Amino acid sequence: MKNVVMTLALAVTPLAAQWINHPTPGIPRTKDGKVNLSAPTPRTRDGKPDLSGTWSAPGFSTKYLENLAADGVEVPMLPWAAALYKERLADAGKDRPSTRCLPHSVTDFDAHHMPKKVLQTSGEIAMLFESYHSFREIFIDGRELPKDLDPAWFGYSVGKWEGDTLVVNTVGINANTWLDDGGHPHTDALHVTERFRRPDFGHIEVQLTIDDPKAYSKPWTVKIPWEFLPDTELLDWVCENEKDAQHLVSK
Amino acid sequence: MKAAVLAILSLALTDPVRAQWLNYPTPGIPRTADGKPNLAAPTPRTADGKPDLTGVWNRISPKYDANITADLKPGDIPPWAQALVEKRKEDLGKDHMAAHCLPFGPEYSTAQRYVKIVQTPTLIVMLDEDLTYRQIFLDGRPLESDPQPAWMGYSVGHWDGDTLVVDSAGFNDKTWLDTQGHPHSEALHTTERYRRTDLGHLEMETTIQDPKVYAKPFTVAISSLLAPDTELLEAVCNENNKDLDHWVGRASDDEKSEVKVPRETLAKYAGTYVEQPKLWRTVARTIVITAEGDALFGDLDGRGKTRIRATSASNFVGIQGGVEFVVKDPKTAPTDLFVKHVSGNYRFARTK
Repeated sequence: MKNVVMTLALAVTPLAAQWINHPTPGIPRTKDGKVNLSAPTPRTRDGKPDLSGTWSAPGFSTKYLENLAADGVEVPMLPWAAALYKERLADAGKDRPSTRCLPHSVTDFDAHHMPKKVLQTSGEIAMLFESYHSFREIFIDGRELPKDLDPAWFGYSVGKWEGDTLVVNTVGINANTWLDDGGHPHTDALHVTERFRRPDFGHIEVQLTIDDPKAYSKPWTVKIPWEFLPDTELLDWVCENEKDAQHLVSK
Repeated sequence: MKAAVLAILSLALTDPVRAQWLNYPTPGIPRTADGKPNLAAPTPRTADGKPDLTGVWNRISPKYDANITADLKPGDIPPWAQALVEKRKEDLGKDHMAAHCLPFGPEYSTAQRYVKIVQTPTLIVMLDEDLTYRQIFLDGRPLESDPQPAWMGYSVGHWDGDTLVVDSAGFNDKTWLDTQGHPHSEALHTTERYRRTDLGHLEMETTIQDPKVYAKPFTVAISSLLAPDTELLEAVCNENNKDLDHWVGRASDDEKSEVKVPRETLAKYAGTYVEQPKLWRTVARTIVITAEGDALFGDLDGRGKTRIRATSASNFVGIQGGVEFVVKDPKTAPTDLFVKHVSGNYRFARTK
């Protein structure tokens, strides 16, 4: 199994890239030229925290991508969800959408170890993901979530500021996506609440609440850390061989 | 013919899902008294006084989307490249990036697609409905001299007065410049010049330099219209990419089934036909029919003359799902033709 997964991973490894040692302009640095991760939170013209920057999981750890509840949070799965999760773990994730070059979604990209770039304007936040070269939009222009939803891979996201915390509500995520690579399932009733806080220059804390009464007996919450990634750029990562999934066998 | 219809069908299958916020009023844009966006309002500007290109844009590019070299002379394209284009046409475009769910690379800036531009002082991103993005750095960094080829290349921009100038290089050579299949090499360098002339209009000129393919640089000009009160729709290609199994046949299959039509009949078909009504399109489509001896040609929106072949005295294949001339009196020229498509027949009226 491991060998097959390794092969798959190699097939989609990005090319060696450019600008990977380009010093990020305008970021606070210590005397030795390194990024000062504990410098104050940057702010926009209107005084809100600015979440912009390039981020990754600390040490590129895949811990939360593999299991959102890796810290031991209780996940109150309904019996069908528990059975499906068990099956997905036993299958080594062979039916995971990403093995067929389909996008990750909100919670698994929050947990993803690979770099992501956040671009914040007054009206929206765009998140660019290195993996799968895809993106997600969060509207912060005051609009409400739509009522009549057509499910989409990234759902529909709106955010608003509560003090220095950006609270993002997402609904309409199509039920083909998995909450994490382990395979925590969800239904079309999923409502994700993300609370983003940038307590200093170098860190973002994402608090995720999963509310899906058709799959979980009550909402559950996890915390995921992001760390600022200086002096580099997203690589050109394209899922070029969606035929790999046919060769991904297990058990 | 069948294959061509299947090819069109396949493209239709990758249409984006019906989405939300399709009629959500874009906040903060100037409106006329009746509440419609005032597309002629002045160009919006950022806090630092630069034109703000932010918005969802509908790129109007029926000609260059199909044939980026539409304005070149035959001698401007080397024989090997022309032969490659012919082969790609013969294969009904089955190796186009779209058929394999791969990024369009440089074609993102000239293809007839929606693009969302999000602008900050140091970075502009262009978002495509297929969920790929492009980054343009405005932080003063130069392009690297020997970049590792990448699908989206590398782009840097700067302001020349009110014009955003974007230089890009470092593309891999796996992408095509248009749907006909005009090739490029890794030496491709593009220079795009964007000007938002008012709220509703974005003008772009791009110069394509690729000395390994095209002897001299050439420039195409493409306009985009603001698409207010809507958002990008999500179109995930791999979701339904079973199309290739059905992508069979060759363009030349049409030759084998060709029916002989008298020259004098073909000559009557020649003329310029304009779509009536223009439907949802911003610019009505035009097809120019020319007859040369025993051969009939059609040129849809200036994409280039394409041989069309008769399956009956009035039905021809080779463009879209086919062209049918409406012959009421065989002695006179037809007043209309239909361009066929899986979504129906589209009427074009003769204007000359």
